[in-house]
Amino acid sequence: MTEPQELVEKLLTELPGWLPAQRWFAGKDRPVGSVRPLRTTVLLEEPRLLHVVVEVEQADRVEAYQLLVTDRDESYEATGDGELTGHLLDLMAQGREIDGLSFEHEPDAELTDGLRGRPITSEQSNTSIIFGSQYILKLFRKLSYGPNPDLVLHRALRGVGCEHIAQPLGSITGELNGEQVTIGMLQQFLPDAVDGWAMATTSVRDLMADSEALHADQAGGDFAAEANRLGQAVATVHADLERALGQQDADDDDIAATVRAMGSRLDRVAEMVPALGPFVPALREAFDKALDGRSTIVVQNIHGDLHLGQVLRTVNGWLLIDFEGEPAAPAAERAALKSPLRDVAGMLRSFDYAAHQMLVGQDEDPLLTERALEWARRNRAAFCEGYADAAAEAVGDPRRHGELLRAFELDKAVYEVAYEYANRPEWLTVPLSSIARITGEGA
Amino acid sequence: MQEDSRPDAALGLEGVPHTGEAITADGLLVEPQAEDFQHAKQAPKNPDWFKGAVFYEVLVRAFTDSNGDGTGDLRGLASRLDYLEWLGIDCLWLPPFYASPLRDGGYDISDFRAVLPEFGNIEDFVYLLDEAHRRGIRVITDLVLNHTSDAHPWFQQSRMDPDGPYGDYYVWSDDDSRYADARIIFVDTETSNWTYDPVRGQFYWHRFFSHQPDLNFENNDVQEAMLDTLRFWLDLGIDGFRLDAVPYLFEEEGTNCENLPRTHDFLKRCRKVVDDEYPGRILLAEANQWPSDVVEYFGDPEVGGDECHMAFHFPLMPRIFMAVRRESRFPISEILAQTPEIPTGTQWGIFLRNHDELTLEMVTDEERDYMYTEYAKDPRMKANIGIRRRLAPLLENDRNQQELFTAMLLSLPGSPVLYYGDEIGMGDNIWLGDRDAVRTPMQWTPDRNAGFSSCDPGRIYLPVIMDPIHGYQALNVEAQLNNASSLLNWTRRMIEVRKQHHALAEGTFIDLGGSNPSVLAYKRRWTRPDGHEDIVLCVNNLSRFPQPVELDLSEHRGTTPVELTGGVHFPQVGELPYLLTLPGHGFYWFQLATVGDDGESR
Repeated sequence: MTEPQELVEKLLTELPGWLPAQRWFAGKDRPVGSVRPLRTTVLLEEPRLLHVVVEVEQADRVEAYQLLVTDRDESYEATGDGELTGHLLDLMAQGREIDGLSFEHEPDAELTDGLRGRPITSEQSNTSIIFGSQYILKLFRKLSYGPNPDLVLHRALRGVGCEHIAQPLGSITGELNGEQVTIGMLQQFLPDAVDGWAMATTSVRDLMADSEALHADQAGGDFAAEANRLGQAVATVHADLERALGQQDADDDDIAATVRAMGSRLDRVAEMVPALGPFVPALREAFDKALDGRSTIVVQNIHGDLHLGQVLRTVNGWLLIDFEGEPAAPAAERAALKSPLRDVAGMLRSFDYAAHQMLVGQDEDPLLTERALEWARRNRAAFCEGYADAAAEAVGDPRRHGELLRAFELDKAVYEVAYEYANRPEWLTVPLSSIARITGEGA
Repeated sequence: MQEDSRPDAALGLEGVPHTGEAITADGLLVEPQAEDFQHAKQAPKNPDWFKGAVFYEVLVRAFTDSNGDGTGDLRGLASRLDYLEWLGIDCLWLPPFYASPLRDGGYDISDFRAVLPEFGNIEDFVYLLDEAHRRGIRVITDLVLNHTSDAHPWFQQSRMDPDGPYGDYYVWSDDDSRYADARIIFVDTETSNWTYDPVRGQFYWHRFFSHQPDLNFENNDVQEAMLDTLRFWLDLGIDGFRLDAVPYLFEEEGTNCENLPRTHDFLKRCRKVVDDEYPGRILLAEANQWPSDVVEYFGDPEVGGDECHMAFHFPLMPRIFMAVRRESRFPISEILAQTPEIPTGTQWGIFLRNHDELTLEMVTDEERDYMYTEYAKDPRMKANIGIRRRLAPLLENDRNQQELFTAMLLSLPGSPVLYYGDEIGMGDNIWLGDRDAVRTPMQWTPDRNAGFSSCDPGRIYLPVIMDPIHGYQALNVEAQLNNASSLLNWTRRMIEVRKQHHALAEGTFIDLGGSNPSVLAYKRRWTRPDGHEDIVLCVNNLSRFPQPVELDLSEHRGTTPVELTGGVHFPQVGELPYLLTLPGHGFYWFQLATVGDDGESR
């Protein structure tokens, strides 16, 4: 049994080597300079469970990360210990405050305590723990100062009775350097849920494997009805966010600023990825058109990083999860009001990805390519129709804002080009061929 | 009264006891009584027998012809009971074998107390019942409460003598405007629920065909007459009834005339007769409605149900087909999530196919279009609001899919109802009219008429299936009995396994979900009377491609799944999600070994 202080000190000596090996660590691109403890909270004496926040300095960047630490395991990592993580749930159920860390449940939520936790294995930037088959706790690994958009938007949506989210049930918050930070969010867990990517790629697989010359609308695994319902769910969430938190009309300056941001992203990426070069003029033209041919647009709180992996199919319909915005974007940008069309554009790009994912790394096959395009066209259209059916009047049918939607979609594709270039060069063809197609089709 | 206008004239029942063979001075029709016949011995007592029973729907006409007239009959069916006992069948469901003009497959009953002469007579039925009971097999039959044939002597009396004792037996009206909110069920053939009768000069109400007038249940004499009909067959020894078309018994202006409270009141009366006078016999409701409406037919949950003991779960069946074709478990998971709890003394009946078309009333328009595109590629495959095909051809004769479907039928909540011939993968003949496509003779042997009848092949009631894939020369019971890996032997084995695990009969159903949409996994959990738990885990791959699945079995940490058909022990359940891989359209049944009082697993 080690004293807390001793444990933290031992930990600190190992962290510079340990952190970069963690999947959730956001600073893998540069060496870890120094690691300083910011705060340590003893959550349990026996067995030992500590909540530790450390500040990691990497060249010009300083970030705070949270750790859940035990001496029961050589790795110090406590998130895999079902008994210890179960204690976090108990603290929220009891509404406890320990040394400035508040464990709360939502005002009208009653939590069952005494459940063991188990971590889910598929996560990227955070760590999530499931309790029984009822709850899921997301621990935000990299801590941001100020209100956490995920928690804020979930609470707002719950407040207006939105049915297309996993209901928020509790939270862990604290203070760091005099500012509020959100440590974790507890939500209803849906054991029957399947993510939209798995649903969509099941349908694509069915179409691709068909030996007869079937079209996407004839295949048994057709996804259009699901895409339509998904469109309705997204539109409903947008309308609920607007109802809960309001909206604004974007003025000319806002739109000009948005288009400028698209242009500068394009400049940066084109410099990095030569293959994008030939498309730069057409892209720039498309962005400019969004500026010219625009109708009034509204801006509001949106999901911010919507794609098929951020939606869940349950027996009661589609849900949206993870309202954190683009994980790499700075907090201020993430919290800014955006056009709902950005989310629509994100989903449209995702349909394109789902359609083409089986072709990546394969020899060119004109028949399969045609099927992929057909699947994408059919489901993108079905999504937009569903969206239009349930959309608030100010937004309406997303295809009404053709130029702007196209610009958002292209901007997203440019972002994808940068991402794929850096991480998965094989996949670069997916956004590049989409850019070629969208800009080639003209207005 | 002229000889040819007697109400029983059209029935062809001369020489056997029948309704209307004489008329009393008050104008009442003389009807046969149960005391006139011998009664069958009862099957062993077990009030809950239906909760775990495997049912087998068999058309008397289609099973075996004992007298060489080209039509199956009751004695023929009795001669096949050894086969049905071997297969593991607990209860036969016989669609109507009553006297009938046969304009609706016998559902147009012209005498509730006489057997259709070509099937035999009451004595033959009692013989069948007796032989079945000796083998531990029960028998239920269809009873159509809602309507009769227009040839029934009751209707003949009603139309000719509006003021006589039968004048008010049917729903008569001077015009055809009442109950306008009731839908027309047989949209292919009927344009109205009213038809004008020139004899009486009034319109009569009919929810089905115009030759099937609805009985008037507002008339207490009709209620009593139908209760006496139940008693007649129960006295002979029958084990219960499938009550046909129950939602439509009563009519009420301003409603859709379905599921009305007074309909439920009458069913409660029927149930009371069964409980008081014939305990252990059952009522099974045919109510093609949404599960939330169908549960009403079980009656009051406070007393464990006081209407029907069983009801068919109609919406489940098309969704099983939809789920497999879409390679997505959601169509099945959704409908089961929407299915309410049922009273303790009741059970669902579930099926893949039956003598009717694959019914698509209980799906949305969008889903119906989908089913037509997928499973009825030829317009002739469609009938009314459904698809007239057998299981094997619906599944393109794919053995793996037939096994997967049967495995789900035997493990989803409810008592399974097999349709005759599906155990050998029989085919259909879509060129036959109406719903006859799926009513062809049972294929017993490669001999003449498939061993069904010794008659001249030209005389047979419907041609045997002769196509190169499902033809009787290759596809028959005899050939499959001799082949250890046949579908028949496989089906028998699965029925046997099902019966060894009562969790599959009465266990609660727990959908396990999971991240792979193509895998449907569920637990059936049953607490035995000694307090031990019997938990069966079923995992079904709805996709034609191999699939992995990670299941959350954390509740069963430390237990060892044992595969049920071979007894193979799988790796112990640990802290992590349990990983299984399944071949295309594969499935597993596991017992999750129970932990005894001594803490021993296994």
